[in-house]
Amino acid sequence: MTRRVVITAAQAITPIGYGQDAIRRSLMAGQSGVKPLRDDGLLTQHISCQVFGSVDYAIDYQFTRSDKKTMGPVAYYACQVAKDVLADSGLGQEFITSGRLGVAFGSTHGSPTVQRDIYRTFFQDLDKGFKGIGAVDYLRSMVHTTAVNITRMFGITGRVVASSTACTTSAQAIGFGYEAVKYGMQDAMLCGGSDEYDTTTVAVFDNLLACSAAYNHAPSRTPRPFDRARDGLVVGEGGGAVILEEYEAAKRRGAPILAEIVGFACNNNGGDLILPNQDGIAQTLKLALADARLRPEQVDFVSAHATATKMGDIIESQAINAVYGEKPLVTALKSYTGHCMGACGVIETIMTLSMMEAGFIVPTLNLEEVDPRCAALRYAREIIDIKIDVAAIQNFAFGGVNTCLLLRRSESL
Amino acid sequence: MLSRDEISRIIIKILVDDFEFKDPKLDDNLRDAHGFDSIDAIELLAKIEKMLGFSLTRAEKEAAMDIRTINDILNYLDTIQRRREI
Repeated sequence: MTRRVVITAAQAITPIGYGQDAIRRSLMAGQSGVKPLRDDGLLTQHISCQVFGSVDYAIDYQFTRSDKKTMGPVAYYACQVAKDVLADSGLGQEFITSGRLGVAFGSTHGSPTVQRDIYRTFFQDLDKGFKGIGAVDYLRSMVHTTAVNITRMFGITGRVVASSTACTTSAQAIGFGYEAVKYGMQDAMLCGGSDEYDTTTVAVFDNLLACSAAYNHAPSRTPRPFDRARDGLVVGEGGGAVILEEYEAAKRRGAPILAEIVGFACNNNGGDLILPNQDGIAQTLKLALADARLRPEQVDFVSAHATATKMGDIIESQAINAVYGEKPLVTALKSYTGHCMGACGVIETIMTLSMMEAGFIVPTLNLEEVDPRCAALRYAREIIDIKIDVAAIQNFAFGGVNTCLLLRRSESL
Repeated sequence: MLSRDEISRIIIKILVDDFEFKDPKLDDNLRDAHGFDSIDAIELLAKIEKMLGFSLTRAEKEAAMDIRTINDILNYLDTIQRRREI
């Protein structure tokens, strides 16, 4: 027997604002969060891409010293959005610590900032040895630092899933959280992902010639998903979290229900670790539809992964067309934020929730002339007022991992 | 060798600046009054090594785990410094 799963809270820290209201305002205003790359005194001057999806506003963190000592920047984002969704959900402290709430939260690779501090030890005088490594540096840098700092801060005793699959990290977190509730392993899950400001990620994509470099003089004009003049992705930072609950329990306690998760799928291309794969993507979309028991024509909106790389957008557009045809409206939300890596899935889910709630779809920013090779889709070219009943959020990662989440609007529950 | 007063001033400054102690007293229980735990103790030992200018042995560090108050820290450092002088 399976159970229905609903989203009862959602919050994000993104390059276009902190919190659902700010994010929605930026989306409606066509505001880009892409800014000049900040100097890290390390790699910035060697990278061709000089833009970044930046969280360039102050956040009033009110963490205690005891909480902060095991947190790197990536966990600050994670714990702040976790704090927000726990408060917004109205879940009581007794439930939060009962073991019936779990955490599925990840990041690309923990905290690169703290890892850099650890690596500095290798370049110190030998007599200082490993003493440059702090007692808590591992806790602040490790891959599951976000998930367990959340459990520690709020006393959560349920299961922990710390996915770390680059760009599908938080989509997997939501998907695995959905499955944990659907199959009765937990009654609720706090899911999401975050990634901090990090130039090594930019350098990696830059070396692969996958980063945008032609718009350094005009950061807000890139990335340009599906556009003929796109020249690559823009790395970004941020974090987002959602609370998933079993539908009947959420309804009983009068929780705010933002949407139902009706389907999830995750697969692997089973081959190349970098190249996008149309068959692998199409298979994921079909598996998600099967999980949701939906027909392709029931999907109204597709939040495309669309990072604005030359090949990725073409392959994805062909996969969308192969599965859905030209019916759903398609938008690439990374055009607003840049590619927030491990956080992109949850941030795009939250943006989609916002549009489902308010009844509109925003266009892809910077999509001025559709690349003919991506033309077989129905793009939102301006803000469209529309009731979205079913939305698909798709994400793909290095390593050949593909995910698709399907959401149903709360009013139709 | 640093005097007890000098060490006391340095230690209290570290506890206030780096560990956010508010108005520490010499006989406060570090854990109960200021939330100072074993991870903090390891961090503090690293700062103490920097202050002393030499490394503590494993046995000396393990001995530090019995410390409960700032006065205990001062007594501990007294013993460490005297042992090195011999």
